[in-house]
Amino acid sequence: MIRRLRWWLIAIAVMCVLPLFVPLGFPVSVIRLLVMGSYLAIFAMSWDMMSGHTGYISFGHPFLIGLAGYVTAFLSHQEGFQPPHIVLPLAVTLPLGVAAAVGGGMLFFFPSMRVRGPYFALVSLAFMEILHRLIIAVRPEFTGGDRGLPNLPSVVMGAIPNYYLSLGLMFATAIGLWYVSRSNVGNVLKAIRMDEDVVEASGISTYRFKRFAFLLSAVTAGLGGVFYTHYLASINPRRAFSAILLLDIIISAVIGGMGTIVGPMFGGYFLTFILEYLRPYLFGQWRLLAYALVAIFMVIYKPKGFYGIAQDVASWFQTRKRRSAQYGY
Amino acid sequence: MATKLIEIKGLTKKFGGLVAVNDFSFHVEKGEALGLMGPNGSGKTTVFNLVMGDLKPDSGEIIFEGKDITNYPTYQRVKAGIARTYQVPRPFQELPVIEDIQMSTIPDSIMGSFRGRAMPLEKVAKIGEDVGLKEHLSMYPRELTMGDLRRVELAKALATNPKIVLLDEIFAGLTVAEIGELDTLLQQRRKKGLNFIVVSHDLKALAPLVDRVVVIHFGEFIAEGPFDKIVNDERVKAAYFG
Ligand SMILES: Nc1ncnc2c1ncn2[C@@H]1O[C@H](COP(=O)(O)OP(=O)(O)OP(=O)(O)O)[C@@H](O)[C@H]1O
Ligand SMILES: [Mg+2]
Repeated sequence: MIRRLRWWLIAIAVMCVLPLFVPLGFPVSVIRLLVMGSYLAIFAMSWDMMSGHTGYISFGHPFLIGLAGYVTAFLSHQEGFQPPHIVLPLAVTLPLGVAAAVGGGMLFFFPSMRVRGPYFALVSLAFMEILHRLIIAVRPEFTGGDRGLPNLPSVVMGAIPNYYLSLGLMFATAIGLWYVSRSNVGNVLKAIRMDEDVVEASGISTYRFKRFAFLLSAVTAGLGGVFYTHYLASINPRRAFSAILLLDIIISAVIGGMGTIVGPMFGGYFLTFILEYLRPYLFGQWRLLAYALVAIFMVIYKPKGFYGIAQDVASWFQTRKRRSAQYGY
Repeated sequence: MATKLIEIKGLTKKFGGLVAVNDFSFHVEKGEALGLMGPNGSGKTTVFNLVMGDLKPDSGEIIFEGKDITNYPTYQRVKAGIARTYQVPRPFQELPVIEDIQMSTIPDSIMGSFRGRAMPLEKVAKIGEDVGLKEHLSMYPRELTMGDLRRVELAKALATNPKIVLLDEIFAGLTVAEIGELDTLLQQRRKKGLNFIVVSHDLKALAPLVDRVVVIHFGEFIAEGPFDKIVNDERVKAAYFG
């Protein structure tokens, strides 16, 4: 067991001691990027739990993340546009934000999961857009309208504490979802993507399992959403409900390898860093074009993403070893 | 009355203007194996789809063990004890045969699945071996012949622990020797109390397996009786050759 996990343990240890090198000159900007990477990894794994496993593509993750973020932002803070209201401590508003994501998701997304086909994808996209419009148009004195809610309280201060917070959340999410993915529940979800009728024909209510996957997805999206919002210390509709955020999440999951949890986790960090270093060359439309090209490439060449490529490399080495053991070359 | 395992009453299914199944009725006695015969396109697979709940009938009733299951979703029918094989096999492309069969044994409950209450692989392997897949258990569907894919279908149906299995052309693509083996296996299962409805173009394979035959033509019931009598029935001959 320890042997099999050795690379993971090394990676975790490196991640944990990294901030110790900041006083020795390790750039804080990289630590900040890793925080962003952790949150994108959480969102990508959350998306993967539902969409990567079952094939029911969610365009609504910004809805879940944004709803959670807005609820905790509004309740935890009194400034700018808002009429006076009771300000609640973060210990209360964070769980309420997560609950809002779960409740809103169940209310709006469950019905469309009963039907096969593109309905779930369309409904999730529609609700993201509806929430976007509602927040701008309805009672802007509560939501800050276009400008959003600034100066939110922080959960922890400074780059390094935020680094550990995001890393802890990321690992908790990764371990939890990975465990589900490796269980029979995960096997059923992946089978739903392959042929849902046949899963039903083996005596399993696919709706029951899809509901559970979505619930996990909403909980983790909400959890990431509330902490992410307080880390950024502000929330506004343009950023929260942007197509860019949605595409960042989906592309992370796709290039990492859908249905594997571990792949989308890597994808989240990878995309964060690539985007940062390509920033001078890739903005606006170019970023979308690059996404389109990457997506087309991945779908044609390797639907299993990095995870699949890593598996291929590993099995290539194994066959080499076995062959050389057998024939002595 | 109590001797009927499953009873189909006045089943009708239209696809647009085409009446694929028209006021069709039959039943299976407890302990019986029934043959369902009919020329190409006569509605046999559609009847199976209706019995499994893959299609909703326009009218008619399906009674299983005295319960009206017409409005049950598919998974509840399977849990009640009905299973089927697909005429065009539908394996899970990314799973090796043994895991594909095991999928049929995963409980329909989140907690149950977490606790790993699926059938252990040794037992699953036994089901696979019974249908002649001993050498194929770790293979992927793309590596299998059509005949072997049909065996996988049968293994998956048996793994749900059914009371009755609807077999749709499982002999197609098998050699005479293989058909013999499969026939033997099915007859053993019958002795242990398993019921069948068998659709097959291969009348030689069908003959030793079934107690009684129902014939469907253009979606309608045309004849019913023992196999030997039915194959010499004028209406049946007309349906097949006329
Ligand atoms: N989903 C569908 N939509 C439209 N028409 C259908 C559908 N399924 C079957 N049909 C039509 O219904 C009729 C009965 O088809 P069915 O597949 O039940 O026949 P069958 O007896 O199983 O034939 P075969 O011996 O070739 O398997 C055919 O004319 C077929 O084209
Ligand atoms: Mg057919």
